[in-house]
Amino acid sequence: MFRQLSARFGGPLAVAILTLLGIWLIVMVTLPQLQMIEYSLKPNLLPAQIGGPEDRLTIANYATLFNNDIHRSIFFKTLWSSVLVTVLTLIVSYPLAWYLAKVATPRQAALCILLLIIPFWINEILRTYSWFIILAFRGPLNEVLMMLGLIDRPIRFLNGDAGVMVGMVYAYILFMVFPVYNAIESLDDNQVRAARDLGAGTVRTHRRIVIPHAKPGIATGCIMTFMLAAGSYAVPALLGSPGSRWFTQIIYNWFFEGGNWNQGAAYAFLLLVLCIGFMSLVMKIFKVGLGDIAK
Amino acid sequence: MSSQRLLAFGLRFYVVVFFVYLFLPLLIMAAATFNDSRFPTVTPWDGTTLRWFGELAADGGMWQALGNSAIVAVGVLCLAVPIGIATALFLNTVSSRAKPFLYALILSPLLTPGVIIGISTLIFWRQFGVSGGIFLTVLGQATFIAAYVMLMVTARLQRFDRTMERAALDLGASQWQMFRRILLPYLKPAIYSAGVIAFLQSFENYNTTLFVVGYDTTLTVYIASKVRTGLTPAVNALGLILILVTVVLAIAYEVKRRREEAARSVKGV
Amino acid sequence: MDGSVRLDEVVMRFGDFTAIEKTSLTIGSGEFFSFLGPSGCGKTTLLNIVSGFLVPSQGQVFIGEEPVAGVPVNRRPTAMIFQNLALFPLMTVFENIEFGLEVRGVGKKQRRETSERLLALVALEGSGPKQVTELSGGQKQRVAIARALAVEPRVLLLDEPLSALDLKLRQHMRAELKTIQRKTGITFIYITHDQGEALTMSDRVAVMSAGRIQQVADPMTLYRSPATGFVAAFVGENNRLESRLVDREGQRVRLDAGALGELAGSAGEDVSLGNGDRVALYVRPEHLKPVAADAAGPRLEGEIEAVHFEGASVMLETRLTASGEKLRVQLGHEVSRQYADSLTVGQRMTFGYDPADAVVLPDDGSAVVDETTGEMVDSRTAAGGAHVSSA
Repeated sequence: MFRQLSARFGGPLAVAILTLLGIWLIVMVTLPQLQMIEYSLKPNLLPAQIGGPEDRLTIANYATLFNNDIHRSIFFKTLWSSVLVTVLTLIVSYPLAWYLAKVATPRQAALCILLLIIPFWINEILRTYSWFIILAFRGPLNEVLMMLGLIDRPIRFLNGDAGVMVGMVYAYILFMVFPVYNAIESLDDNQVRAARDLGAGTVRTHRRIVIPHAKPGIATGCIMTFMLAAGSYAVPALLGSPGSRWFTQIIYNWFFEGGNWNQGAAYAFLLLVLCIGFMSLVMKIFKVGLGDIAK
Repeated sequence: MSSQRLLAFGLRFYVVVFFVYLFLPLLIMAAATFNDSRFPTVTPWDGTTLRWFGELAADGGMWQALGNSAIVAVGVLCLAVPIGIATALFLNTVSSRAKPFLYALILSPLLTPGVIIGISTLIFWRQFGVSGGIFLTVLGQATFIAAYVMLMVTARLQRFDRTMERAALDLGASQWQMFRRILLPYLKPAIYSAGVIAFLQSFENYNTTLFVVGYDTTLTVYIASKVRTGLTPAVNALGLILILVTVVLAIAYEVKRRREEAARSVKGV
Repeated sequence: MDGSVRLDEVVMRFGDFTAIEKTSLTIGSGEFFSFLGPSGCGKTTLLNIVSGFLVPSQGQVFIGEEPVAGVPVNRRPTAMIFQNLALFPLMTVFENIEFGLEVRGVGKKQRRETSERLLALVALEGSGPKQVTELSGGQKQRVAIARALAVEPRVLLLDEPLSALDLKLRQHMRAELKTIQRKTGITFIYITHDQGEALTMSDRVAVMSAGRIQQVADPMTLYRSPATGFVAAFVGENNRLESRLVDREGQRVRLDAGALGELAGSAGEDVSLGNGDRVALYVRPEHLKPVAADAAGPRLEGEIEAVHFEGASVMLETRLTASGEKLRVQLGHEVSRQYADSLTVGQRMTFGYDPADAVVLPDDGSAVVDETTGEMVDSRTAAGGAHVSSA
């Protein structure tokens, strides 16, 4: 590797490139992750006990999750809700992506994309906060619903998982729209026309032509959305209540309230495994590789 | 035929609803800034005021957090941009059997939840006696932002005609001179774009920052804590200003990018 | 300054594939030398070995009688003009031309003087401040030449630089390149698959095929006395007729062409042939002339299958009555007018030629032209040495 680099860039630059890459991949990416795993396999000890007889590898931190009914149910709730958020986001995004890629004129599409990019650039916290205002007990949504006579008393939207999921769909929708749009955009118009010509209806055209073509984009969008949802801290913290905690909040508590980093590391690793598992599953279902995702 | 037309109309209607859904929350948040109500809302409207901007300006904690965010963002820029460029050059140059594995490793920070990057950074540096603060925030954020920079630089690098390199060497340039005078100027637009994105990503980051920021506070962490404790429309005022800055930046960036794209297609370079 | 280039037993292998067979060659200082051959023959590989982009697997390269092994690309006294020119798009014309001087640390004033002088040489005065993206194809070509000349190379390497231009411009640039070469006195090594370019510009041409040099000669010798069947078929057009040697007297050779009867041709003194050997006779279309059916000398009777009017000449496609082989005949303006009435499809005509114009070579079965595509087929790739005549 050094030889190829120095042949192209010369020795000093090759050294610089490999040094930067090494610092990143080893010191910033790999070692911290390994350290986290090691932490998760150690009991939470006082400084004096480190190196003592109790300092040995154990899976006790992982067992905690299975013994703690509340944590376990939150873990599975997080998994289930994140899947739901992913599916909802896909359903909401797909028609828009289709419109942008194949229906809109180039000018319309360019304008829409600019309009999409603007909120994309705005802070996740602020986007979530805007829903906090809308969903508030005495907020505009309740006011409008009461004015329309649909409800007689305001609803506590910020009290359950529904508010969290609404906020997540809103926060992560663009991570779905853009990959799906890019994938559909590369589909040859003539294929759609040919399908229509052969008598395929709208549903069939999408199911047999567009969706198979857009698979890499859909997979990318789903993986990103799921990862962001399952790993979200801001949205549940702002829009949830103590009764609707997210798994990331449990992890945070282990670190900064429970003071048990080893336990927190184990939970964090489980979250990572969850995301990797979901990613592998999606890549398998959609038959796409890592190269398709980094687009 | 008419069902087709109905479908087309339905799609257009959906697109309009979608954009309303996208912007209405932001507009409501912005409007709440001007409501003379102790709590941020638009209903009921208690009169129009600008006093929340004044309160925001008087908030020392906010200024402190803003300063920290700027320091972190500059730090991330200095770390993530060189790493991203180096990685793009590496991937563009090296062919090796280990490359697919390295590529997966390089992409992994993009596919790892931000909280985990924060946690692992926090744990790793504890053994060296480094605890949460600006330094770790820079490291944690740069870990995944470098991957974004890499993607953007790679996209441009793939369009580079390597005969240019050979021509430069053939004319007597050293490899360093070739890099300095030919390759780097070519990559400059992508590097600037990546820099802007890196800066914004850093400025807005919450999930990673939350774990590594320690007793320091960045602007996003400050906003989040304000929402939960001591919420007043001053938060909206801050949000509104950030949104306006972002919108201006986003539009400027887009306009510049499109102009370059148009220039490129005209010249056929 | 000595701009000679010498290849000493150079071999280039890529894995199992041998791109250049053992090659030795000397190119004189100040010579305009071309490598001519079909794509994939190894000519670009040779150029890259001289420029230093490739290190030969074996053998030595000398420039100005000094070995250049271990001298990197950026230290060699060569400059290359690339097929796609590789001008730096983000720089002006001045900056492009001065790049080589700039990286050598030449001062700004002196750089500008050089580039002004070179712009005058390539007839582009006043274009210096322009962006290269604003230039036309021919102007880009000139900038590329000026940029390469700016570093005062002893050898200029040109890798099919005219291939991107349209026909008119290409012909114009040929003359221009030749003029520049004469004015500067630099050794030019020119790579091309276009024989027109090679023949019009070069002092000497090396014809290459499948990693091997077939013949090195001045253009006229190449055309008149091809040394191998490949050269005979690749340079210009040739009819190839198989026959057996009856006897030879000095250069003059008598042949038994089976059904075609007795034919004659000439073989170089250095071509060793024995009586009864299988040989190939090469007769160029323009050397064939209509003759009376009972005229003296070699005669070939054929039936006209197609008549192509080509302006200055007429090309006939005929099929030989005796053997069924194809024979192409090119008639000059005068002759075609004289026989105007007979030049119709289905007409039988007898053609003769001067045996001194017809080359006889050993029938090595190598290199024939694929009749349908007109591309070179090498015996090593073509199955069992297919023949044009048997097709």
